[in-house]
Amino acid sequence: MASVTLKNIKKIYPHSGKQKKGEKKTNLQVTDKGVVAVQEFSLNIADREFIVLIGPSGCGKSTTLRMIAGLEEISEGELYIDGQLVNKVPPKDRDIAMVFQSYALYPDKNVYDNLAFSLRLKKMPKEEIDRKVREAAEILDITQYLDRKPKALSGGQRQRVAIGRAIVRNPKVFLMDEPLSNLDAKLRNQMRAEIIKLRQRIDTTFVYVTHDQTEAMTLGDRLVIMRDGFIQQIGTPQEAFEHPANRFVAGFIGSPQMNFFDAELIQQKNGDYAVVLGDATIVLSSGKQARLSTKDVQPQSVILGVRPENIALCEDGGNDGNQARICGTVDVCERMGSAAHLHVKAGGYDVVIVVQTMDKNGPTQADFAMGQSIAFTFSGSVAHVFSKETEKNLEF
Amino acid sequence: MEKALQRWFPVFVLPTLAAFIIGFIWPFCQGLYLSFCRFTTINNASWVGIDNYINSFSDASFGDSFWFTVAFAVVSTVLINVLAFAVALALTRSIRGTNVFRTVFFMPNLIGGIVLGYIWQILINCLLSIVGQPLLNLNTPAGYWGMIILMCWQQVGYMMIIYVAGLQNVPPELVEAAQIDGATSWQTLLWVKLPMVMPSITICLFLTITNSFKLFDQNLSLTGGEPAHATEMLALNI
Repeated sequence: MASVTLKNIKKIYPHSGKQKKGEKKTNLQVTDKGVVAVQEFSLNIADREFIVLIGPSGCGKSTTLRMIAGLEEISEGELYIDGQLVNKVPPKDRDIAMVFQSYALYPDKNVYDNLAFSLRLKKMPKEEIDRKVREAAEILDITQYLDRKPKALSGGQRQRVAIGRAIVRNPKVFLMDEPLSNLDAKLRNQMRAEIIKLRQRIDTTFVYVTHDQTEAMTLGDRLVIMRDGFIQQIGTPQEAFEHPANRFVAGFIGSPQMNFFDAELIQQKNGDYAVVLGDATIVLSSGKQARLSTKDVQPQSVILGVRPENIALCEDGGNDGNQARICGTVDVCERMGSAAHLHVKAGGYDVVIVVQTMDKNGPTQADFAMGQSIAFTFSGSVAHVFSKETEKNLEF
Repeated sequence: MEKALQRWFPVFVLPTLAAFIIGFIWPFCQGLYLSFCRFTTINNASWVGIDNYINSFSDASFGDSFWFTVAFAVVSTVLINVLAFAVALALTRSIRGTNVFRTVFFMPNLIGGIVLGYIWQILINCLLSIVGQPLLNLNTPAGYWGMIILMCWQQVGYMMIIYVAGLQNVPPELVEAAQIDGATSWQTLLWVKLPMVMPSITICLFLTITNSFKLFDQNLSLTGGEPAHATEMLALNI
């Protein structure tokens, strides 16, 4: 159990001989020194907190985790574990444990020896090693596999062993690098629940890397959303979902992805902010009005974001005289069981709308035919306005 | 489909089986047969029973050669493999010029055994000019260590390539996991890398041992079995 503090961390990978300077394969910044994989990374992780680093491939989340582990050198900045500066401390002396994506089990050792390896290196008495290994095996329900080699285990069992290897060490910080990404969907759900239970049992500080937002939303106390080496937003899963800091976060968190439109932010005669999308005008909610007023946001062209779950279909096909009504035609209807994802062509946009097709009494919605005309609307409380220039949320 | 394959499997196995018999089984059996014959060519052979074996084992020089070969095999096998593994370890680190070094270390294998023997005789004799004697006039240990040095020089590069391939197969996450588990570099080598390169070690041990027992060219050209057949190895003795 320990706090972890990252201060202005930067990671630069020097140019390799084969790579030409100025050659850019990703959106990462390239300087004379090399490719900047992570920069301006500052974060305070509280004792016993579960932090999830999330972002698309190549955003620097695994690099950050590896810097905390000591497997990557920190180019600039300071890293503290439990208040102690550990920039130059080797991994073995950081009192951390790590679970790798590929499990990284020693193939020649059986499960027992895999779990006991780190304890033997510490020259712990045999009885204590045995007690700890069996305790961890019991927590993870792998006692019956203790004498098996890793190749004789299924993916889920191997992942349990990898977690067990970390548990036996009773580390200050528990690092996990996409531990569930090699598992199939069903097993991943099961293991996710196991990790939630595990967290309650071992009660330590967790840093978890994933690109799966379901894992991030369900596991994390706070999310650190990254892109191209920069932190985009730090906040609880709900904060990131309800108040995305910029367009990237808005699009990355939430499934199906948020709908984006080019719109105009206007101020009405009474001073209220509204967004104009085609013929529809949506007056923003009082909370949003207040935040925009405080920041003295001027009328401007904006990117309007609305989550598919927040869009409602107009009951009478769009002829109710609603001012905020937008008309379109159904392009595709994806049936998901309890809900349908409607892809609607409207004003040159492909708008996704989640329609509940089931309630406690059974099915509620008839099928949507391709080409069917529909109208939809949304309220001012669910509209997110982003600057066209900076893509930042204008409310924050 | 599977049933048809099972039914006709002899037909599918036949080409490989024929190649295996022609390439491996038949020459092995022929070699074994010829050891019971007096022969000048394969076709001109007459059966003599176990006479060849009796002659060999009753010849004192054969016994000497055998024990000389065993001593040579033990030391050269250990030295070649330890050196090759050490070089492979050094050349699998991310340092500049590893490919150049690997090529250079491998190059002695491109030189024929006879030529290699003469080259090393010249080299060793140049050094021995300090004591005023050529290699062939010196004692048995000098010839023995000359052979060992030559074989190490020739084979370390070859075995190194096999070890490099083995070491590159060790997943980097395993080494990182060991680092986090608290292992030192030495412990990582001993408990993580070595078990992973066991297949390479087996291949290299087998190759070096067989190479030692059938060594002929280098022995002939470097020492020619001198002085007084004392550095004559099995193949040369036969």
